[in-house]
Amino acid sequence: MQKLFNDMKKELLLMMVSGLCGIAQAQMPLPTPTVQVQQVPAQQNAQGQPQQQPQQQRGAQPPGAAEPTNPQIMGVEIPLLDPATDTVSYNGGKFDVGNNAAVRAKFETFLHGTPDTSEQAALYSKKIDAILADTKKYSRNRKAIGSAAMVRMGKTLYKLADLPRDGGQSGVLASSIVSALDAQRGNRARDEESAALDRDIDDLVKKTNNYVNRNTVGNKGAQAQIGDIKGPAQNSTSVSNTFVIAHNTKSIAEKQAAKVKNSATNVEKEIAAKITYQSNLVTFLMMRRFDHAVIAARIYRHIFKDGDNKMQIDEKSQANEMLSGVAGVPPTVNTVDSMASEARSSVDKHMEAVHSMLAQNKLGEATQHLIEAVAIGEHMKSVFTFPVEGRRRVAAYWTLRKRALTALNARDYGTVDEIARKMKEMDVDFDDSMLLSYSAGRKRQSDLCIRNARKALLEGKDEEFNKHITEAGTIWPLNPNLDASAKHLEQFDNKEKELSEFRTLFARGEFRTIFKEQERFECVAVDPTLKTQYKEVILLVSTIDAMLKQLESVADQDKVMGPCIAYEKLVEYRTSEPRAANDPAYKDSLNHYAGKAHDFVQALRDAEDCESRREYGSALSNYYRAQCLYPKSTLAGQGAAKVSEIIVKAQY
Amino acid sequence: MSRRRSRKSKGGNTTWLLITIVALVVVLGGAYFVKSQSGGTALAKPQNFSIREYRNDGSRMAVPGNHYLLEGRIENIETIGNNRLISVSLKNNRNERLPLLVTKDTTLDVNLTRKDIFLFNVECRTGRDASGNEVKGILVVKNAKTVQ
Repeated sequence: MQKLFNDMKKELLLMMVSGLCGIAQAQMPLPTPTVQVQQVPAQQNAQGQPQQQPQQQRGAQPPGAAEPTNPQIMGVEIPLLDPATDTVSYNGGKFDVGNNAAVRAKFETFLHGTPDTSEQAALYSKKIDAILADTKKYSRNRKAIGSAAMVRMGKTLYKLADLPRDGGQSGVLASSIVSALDAQRGNRARDEESAALDRDIDDLVKKTNNYVNRNTVGNKGAQAQIGDIKGPAQNSTSVSNTFVIAHNTKSIAEKQAAKVKNSATNVEKEIAAKITYQSNLVTFLMMRRFDHAVIAARIYRHIFKDGDNKMQIDEKSQANEMLSGVAGVPPTVNTVDSMASEARSSVDKHMEAVHSMLAQNKLGEATQHLIEAVAIGEHMKSVFTFPVEGRRRVAAYWTLRKRALTALNARDYGTVDEIARKMKEMDVDFDDSMLLSYSAGRKRQSDLCIRNARKALLEGKDEEFNKHITEAGTIWPLNPNLDASAKHLEQFDNKEKELSEFRTLFARGEFRTIFKEQERFECVAVDPTLKTQYKEVILLVSTIDAMLKQLESVADQDKVMGPCIAYEKLVEYRTSEPRAANDPAYKDSLNHYAGKAHDFVQALRDAEDCESRREYGSALSNYYRAQCLYPKSTLAGQGAAKVSEIIVKAQY
Repeated sequence: MSRRRSRKSKGGNTTWLLITIVALVVVLGGAYFVKSQSGGTALAKPQNFSIREYRNDGSRMAVPGNHYLLEGRIENIETIGNNRLISVSLKNNRNERLPLLVTKDTTLDVNLTRKDIFLFNVECRTGRDASGNEVKGILVVKNAKTVQ
């Protein structure tokens, strides 16, 4: 529960930071058109049409589409971070932490800046730490900060305001303290004045009572009672006392009124002072000046000693929502103190993690921690002193990540692959599978469309061709095959030359030439006869190439029999497909294996020569020799069987 | 006188000796000719045989009528019709095989079995196929005997 609470506060701070920058509100979908790496694959439809931006999709819930709400505490929704998408879900809206423009801009500014290790910055940190230590001591000991200590802190704060690292915030804090103290001083003066008035009233009452008593004695039997100042005057003395009594009575009333006025003024000034001070306190928190927020919060109870820590802020204000939204209880100064302290601790932990991850070369994790550290506490010492070497490494990784997002948005999948490879090189833990698989899928889709387009082109279906080629370009605009398709299209427009050349090459049996330029000759498909011939050529040469590749593998595996096998297969293929004999690759390969299996080939050739001279005994002997060299030889076996039959059936 | 008689006697002996020698040579030559023409079971003197030359130059090695005495192991026997074609690996070259024809008319003293070694008496012949075309250089087994 405590952990959940801490996480909530952290994420809330992030939202607060962005909200302060005026770019993202927790309850509104982000208008920034960005795409997340992890989200993109699911955000495009099957046809490759880019859909709405992710934030818009997530943020704008269609009516009636009930999305599961976050858990609530005391009726207030808890903002939750989805670590898979770096998205905070809160109050029906989505907030993309890692892809927020303002956070991104601040982070990049930080990365490209230099660490502030100047003497002034060190002095500033030292002084601030000293003040924090002082306030902590007084806070822990429940001892009132004396005026001397308060003055010392104020002077130190005023001095710090002049340092560039401070940005004048210490001056504001010091002024707030002074203003609050002035207000308290004024209140005390009015209290003293009220006390004096009390004393005056008491004196006047006492005097008036005496006058009244004398009047009573002077009248001898008069029925007037003490304090009955309205009784009828019986003589000159009575008349004289009566006026004094009336004057005193009037003075008492006036003093009572002045006292009431002082009391009201005190209340008014007290509230005004608290509002002013608390306003600065919240401002420090929202500006992520956590040191100042902590100092101000700790000093608060020493300035305002009435024990009332409740924040005097408008219930409808964003600050009130932020401060009370965590647990639904009224915010107090201690809440601010707690949040600021937690933020300081969180930033330091993040920076420790950054150093650790960089040492392990885990740039992805380091970048994530650094983003959060910068977003939460860019003014913290551990952040602004982060070394330049680390910044450069993270910046390089961050730039690649940005390029990946841009490339995905632009559907440049070639670049996506390259970036994924580089990111993997930089960070071994980087999971490039999603990028690569998505990219490969889109590429294949585009290529498939191009293939369909070519098919349509060959079939003369212009409309279908246009549809497929447009689709291919939409899915992957930079698909290199699109250029090839464009060339094909041009060839179809000027196809007479290709038709003539194809006929000539086919007649000469130069199939390999046609095969090498098959894309150029695709246009011959407009003629059914040439189309058939074209297919034959492509099939023939493809078959030869596949066979040669397979035979090469066989020959490599068995250095003795392999060449014999290869030679025999080539000869057999030539028997079934005589056109192969004209193919240069086939001929080269045949000669190559004939050289490798020289004895075997020579035996077969000698056998054939002997056959031609009708010297069948010698021919059979040569076939036997070939069989000895390659026992499984089909050519030798067939030749031997044929000659054996001739020999045996002859008459001698 | 006696010296004249003696000189006559010496010249006459030499003549008779020459005549006798010539007659003896003629008789022996005739006998050898008669014997060689009669044939019989005795093997003719074998000529040197090279299987390599037989493969490469059949016209020289396979002159019809040439006889060869070959020692070899039967590697395979193929029977087609009534004729048999055996392949033999020779004693001095086991890596090559020589085809020998055993015709149906040939009567052998032994049974030819695979993997056994025999001494073959072969003769080079030229046959004719069904169309009358020559079938040259066939080694026909005339006789064979087992080699222990």
